[in-house]
Amino acid sequence: MNTPLLQVENLRTYFHTPYGIARAVDGVSFSVQAGQTLAIVGESGCGKSMTALSLLQLVPEPAGYIEGGRILFEGKDLLDRTWNQMRQVRGRDLAMIFQEPMTSLNPVFTLGTQLVEAMTVHGTATRMEAEKRAVTLLERVKLPQPQQVLRQYPHELSGGMRQRVMIAMALANRPKLLLADEPTTALDVTVQAQILDLLRELQQETGMAVLLITHDLGIVARMADQVAVMYAGQVVENAPTKQLFRNPQHPYTRGLFASLPTRSQRGRDLATLEGTVPQSTNWPAACRFEPRCPARWQTCAEIAPKFLTTKPDHLLRCHLYDPDIPDRPQAPSLQEAMKTLESAGRTVAPIAAVPNSEVQP
Amino acid sequence: MTETPLLEVRNLSKRFPLRHGLFQPRAWKTAVEEVSFVVPRGSTLALVGESGSGKSTVGLMLLDLLAPTSGEILYEGKPFRERQGAVRRALRREMQVVFQDPYASLNARMNVRETLTEGMIVHKIGANAAEREERAVRLLQQVSLSAEALERYPHEFSGGQRQRIAIARALSVEPKFIVLDEPTSALDVSVQSQVLNLLRQLQRDFGLTYLFVTHNLDVVGYLADSVCVMEKGKIVERGAVDEIFDDPKEAYTRRLLEAIPSLDPTMQELLDQTRP
Repeated sequence: MNTPLLQVENLRTYFHTPYGIARAVDGVSFSVQAGQTLAIVGESGCGKSMTALSLLQLVPEPAGYIEGGRILFEGKDLLDRTWNQMRQVRGRDLAMIFQEPMTSLNPVFTLGTQLVEAMTVHGTATRMEAEKRAVTLLERVKLPQPQQVLRQYPHELSGGMRQRVMIAMALANRPKLLLADEPTTALDVTVQAQILDLLRELQQETGMAVLLITHDLGIVARMADQVAVMYAGQVVENAPTKQLFRNPQHPYTRGLFASLPTRSQRGRDLATLEGTVPQSTNWPAACRFEPRCPARWQTCAEIAPKFLTTKPDHLLRCHLYDPDIPDRPQAPSLQEAMKTLESAGRTVAPIAAVPNSEVQP
Repeated sequence: MTETPLLEVRNLSKRFPLRHGLFQPRAWKTAVEEVSFVVPRGSTLALVGESGSGKSTVGLMLLDLLAPTSGEILYEGKPFRERQGAVRRALRREMQVVFQDPYASLNARMNVRETLTEGMIVHKIGANAAEREERAVRLLQQVSLSAEALERYPHEFSGGQRQRIAIARALSVEPKFIVLDEPTSALDVSVQSQVLNLLRQLQRDFGLTYLFVTHNLDVVGYLADSVCVMEKGKIVERGAVDEIFDDPKEAYTRRLLEAIPSLDPTMQELLDQTRP
């Protein structure tokens, strides 16, 4: 087993809030092999984006801070670096593309200026070289008339074109790892397909690894080698994509799959996961999924589940699969679990109004 | 069956004037061109297409929020144009809308009680405040929210709950027809399934007719009865859901269908066998 490109161990990112400490990322561990794609999936408020920002140490300060953990990039801990040393890594070895390409480009500079700056700032190219490379980069992301685009401002391009420029900019310094946070959520389906194909193509060409953050399981199936499912600031299941899709084990993962609308479901109620993700200031004390879990029993509310290795490459955080829990019931088969979830969909339980102070930006 | 469809649209077009100079000829942008379709009572028609294809513009014209350039909209067999004044305003009671973004579509300064009763006051439903309040509570129950929500303001709710409030608001004036403009695309999958279940249940209970404007074909396959595929303001293909999905005729429809990132077929099979 070779060492992974990125290994995150027990990462914890907390926030001071008026309601107490919000443990947005709370003991997250995963690794990304060189050239591979790891997808992080989960609902809003599970800490997906904050995990990515923590890797770059761009957590909004001073409210947010990295409480602990290790982020080993090529064997070295990024958390040991100073702010200035981190600046050399960001955009060079570790690049990021964000969900909304309009807000991540500077509206008062031309795209050419911004693309060239991305290269010269890291000294990977002189100004002259950078200008030449900017054209090639835009060609690579399949933007027509790259010369003209370089002279344009962000508002002159469509969302899909802007996202292509963002990708070009992220690739400018040939990063080893690309963090893509919901890269296609703001785009149309056909444009989304083009952007995803492009990402995969570029990945094969350059051999970079991708950390893809999404809530769309369809995108995961299309793009990822490995999937980490996050819930309430923790990874609850981590497995190779094929394996996870054939046989999801964690009740939360199963719930996510079961609630997808498909044509074969027409005329029937969809399975639902009752309730919503709890507040990050107030995670349930034991198992964080327990209040919403269809398979819960007494122990789940008392002891926090361990992160188990059930198969060499399948990691799980659930008492159902823990041999050390004596009173655990037989884990339901996928079929049984799906049936339970479906009957839950039929009885629409009243949901009390809960204040929701956490609004996604 | 000779029953008149709830809604019929004939050769509907909408052109918007573009900015022009004093001596320049007027230029127009055609957003919707010669669109015709029929929505039978109690059914769901989906309008699908990319952004800019004109699907939301069609929705706005059906709601009488935008005047068509040409063409006709027949509601219960009678054209919009023949209804004027109070009759036309009364029509607005029967047609409601739920928008995509529940963060933007609810008035932040009105609590849920005000949001739900405003429409009733305008359309004179409910004799007095107490009666309206009672109705508001019932509406909240129908969308699975508790009565304590009445006192609260939109920011206190999650996205899924806000969308339920938006649905309750639409239902508050007893509509027959609801335009659903991307009602679940801002929601998480687990919440999306709750809202879709709710929409289906309300359709069953109240015999509602839906026009579903979306680009999410998975949701279309689940909820709609028939589909119109729009491209650049025109309907390029139409048909029952199964026809469109299994045997798309137009290249554009095929492109849309291929673009949906679909799940591993194995997973799909598994889902199918667990739900006979």
